[in-house]
Amino acid sequence: MNSVAVSSITAPWDDDAKVLADVGLVAQQQLAPAAKRIDEGYYPLDIMASLGQAGAYAGHLDQHGCRFDLAISAMSEISRQCGATGFMTWCHDVCGLYMEQSGNPALLARLGDHTLGRTFGGTGLSNPMKALAGIENMAFKAKKVPGGYSVSGTLPWVSHIGEGQYCGAVAAVDRSDGSRSHEIMFLLDLDERVSLRACPEFSGMEGTSTWAITLVDYFVSEDQMIADPARPFIQRIRGAFVLLQVGIAAGIIQGSIDDMRDVEPTLGHVNQYLHNRPDELQAEFDDLVARTMVLAETPYEGSKEFFLDVLDVRSQGAELCLKASQSALLHQGAKGYLMSASPQRRIREAHFVAIVTPAIKHLRWEMAKQMREEVPA
Amino acid sequence: MSSEFPEWRQYLCRACGLIYDEEQGDPDSGLAPGTRFEDIPDDWECPLCGVTKIDFELFEKPVVTVIEQTENFSSEPGIVVVGAGLSGWAAVEAIRQLDQQVPITLVSACQGDIYHKPELSIAISRGLDKAALIKETGIDAARRLGVQLMSATFVVGITSELHQLRTTRGSLTYTTLILAQGAKPALPKQLPPGLCWRVNDLTSWSGMQQALAKGPQKIAIVGAGMIGCEIAEDFIRAGHQVALLDRNEFPLAGLLPPLASKRLAESLTCLGVDYRGEDEITGITELSNGQKQICFKQGDSLEVDQVLAATGLMTDNRIARHAGLDFEQGIQVDPNTLQTSEPDIYALGDCISIQGTPCRFIEPIKHQAKSIAHAILEQDASGYEHSAPVIRLKTRSLPLVMNGLPVAGVKWTLIYEDAETLIMEQEVDNHIVAHLKVGSGSQTQAA
Repeated sequence: MNSVAVSSITAPWDDDAKVLADVGLVAQQQLAPAAKRIDEGYYPLDIMASLGQAGAYAGHLDQHGCRFDLAISAMSEISRQCGATGFMTWCHDVCGLYMEQSGNPALLARLGDHTLGRTFGGTGLSNPMKALAGIENMAFKAKKVPGGYSVSGTLPWVSHIGEGQYCGAVAAVDRSDGSRSHEIMFLLDLDERVSLRACPEFSGMEGTSTWAITLVDYFVSEDQMIADPARPFIQRIRGAFVLLQVGIAAGIIQGSIDDMRDVEPTLGHVNQYLHNRPDELQAEFDDLVARTMVLAETPYEGSKEFFLDVLDVRSQGAELCLKASQSALLHQGAKGYLMSASPQRRIREAHFVAIVTPAIKHLRWEMAKQMREEVPA
Repeated sequence: MSSEFPEWRQYLCRACGLIYDEEQGDPDSGLAPGTRFEDIPDDWECPLCGVTKIDFELFEKPVVTVIEQTENFSSEPGIVVVGAGLSGWAAVEAIRQLDQQVPITLVSACQGDIYHKPELSIAISRGLDKAALIKETGIDAARRLGVQLMSATFVVGITSELHQLRTTRGSLTYTTLILAQGAKPALPKQLPPGLCWRVNDLTSWSGMQQALAKGPQKIAIVGAGMIGCEIAEDFIRAGHQVALLDRNEFPLAGLLPPLASKRLAESLTCLGVDYRGEDEITGITELSNGQKQICFKQGDSLEVDQVLAATGLMTDNRIARHAGLDFEQGIQVDPNTLQTSEPDIYALGDCISIQGTPCRFIEPIKHQAKSIAHAILEQDASGYEHSAPVIRLKTRSLPLVMNGLPVAGVKWTLIYEDAETLIMEQEVDNHIVAHLKVGSGSQTQAA
């Protein structure tokens, strides 16, 4: 393993085709056989380390050329074999993005290990994103203290975290009269001060290491600060944040189409009577990918039109996931319904893409908000 | 390999569809590559589902005859119309006159209620409100015409190759798409949308109407075009104080010759409108007392209770861009068929441009709708013939009628003039291209 890592550092993943081939190989050889186990609860940090060495978590970073197309394609290759790991790749990718875009030297110093998959971190931004959109309340509250902030609260359901790992987090800073002053964003180190509580069992993707985080007067130092205030930072990265998620959906869709094509020789004579045939889905998928890759060229564009286009591909990705995974199961029939079969697993992965923040309903709500014209109050 | 060597065969698990390939074997369960099916022990289990050898059968790849479909049967959704203003409903009515059955879905950002838009510029002085202006609710109209109405739904994207329309309530597919999205107010950046009313649709007009219903107020109307002039008179008649602001010296300067423009300015002034020409707005801010302060380039400012922007319309290009439609000031359409650059997409009303020029008038809409309905239902019709509609300014103090379309830079000839009436014409190559009558006099012919 070490020799792979060393060669990766000296050759910093500058050849897109090689990165995709290497990531694809790890995904097929290591991830595909483990997909069922991961679905049931195995947290595959060993395989994620191999993916890091292959360059899976680097593409979208400025220091690796801001190649969002590469990052999305790599995530798709991973998700094609295992949606749970595809999702954790996204968590890991956006965590790296926070560290880099923070410009904080202390976080930049940690980015190399993160990108290589030597250390791991996720994102606790589901609640803050919804809170800032006015959908729910902010879970963490921060108080200014000498040298930093003191944060308390409970944040449910943060994935790809564990003891000794870290994640992006946001806390609200209130004034003494209780009104909101602003928010801070920081890298939450999950050390001995933090208690992680197991979540209830999910219907799938149990290997995503998802926990509730409880903080009691947790001290956030300057070295952990991503953005203070947080809103302008989140505003700037939100398009990139959502756009990267298309990679999770893309892999599940492509995997579903793979499942349909697999049984074409044996079942094509009856499958022709089904809706949503592989060629039809492939055409829609190709269109989705093409539009996504155009957006990937300018991930930090701030216009309303761009953000709408991002929400559109993300939303279409989720809808197509549902349609393709459902159709894959129908195409495979009983074989796809076996507990070991990928189509039934992909259906649950597709449901996850449809409900994870931003869920289809949030996406539509936000798109409607963006489309509505502002008028005097 | 000798010629007698039998070919490798494949066996299909009848329970789960797994294929046992003799050439590959199944090393995981101890069957080396090249293990013939008959050599597999009877207690061997299917690696996928666990049934035994007897549940396998020889697999011969079936010859599949797929019936070619001209359309994917899962995507036969009928006609989708985007926009439930006058144009959208006109298209629906025209289709229903020819075909009672074809499925129609109408996607509308608003409630789809039917009202006559020109009434918006004379409704305040008549004491009308939103409810009084609605002729038929969207729901009632949808029931009457057998239409699925998706109201409060925005179109987010289109992929024309797939005939796919993506909305904030999910995706639709269409056989034919009719765009009647309308135009939206073009707000210069000096006019913040949160401080300036616009009256291009019933909902935004209604917001302003409610604000004005609180009592006589001081209102600034920015832009002395047709809508600005009509509404200025409407507000004055309703008892409000009105300042009408424009960059040009006189109102409607883009359309009218100076002689007529000046008469209109005098008429508005007589009514009590404070016309302020030849100045540019640099910004608008809200004061602590709720008033809006308008700052001008010359350094002075004006405080008012309400600001209305009547600075013209533009077609939003989002849908056209997504669908890859030719666009120039509007969605470009064929002047006869109203077809866009995509064969299965038509457009009509305020959102289109014909030979690069938008045409935002009521009169042509029903003809456009009829032409589209005939085209998509493959019925013969003479097609649409575009001509410049008659322009009527609904200012009661000084009626104004324009026939034809004025050409910029061409001289206006005075045909008749007295205290009540002014008649002027533009000629190009001995043809009258524009005829203008200002005032209420009975004089209609050249003297």
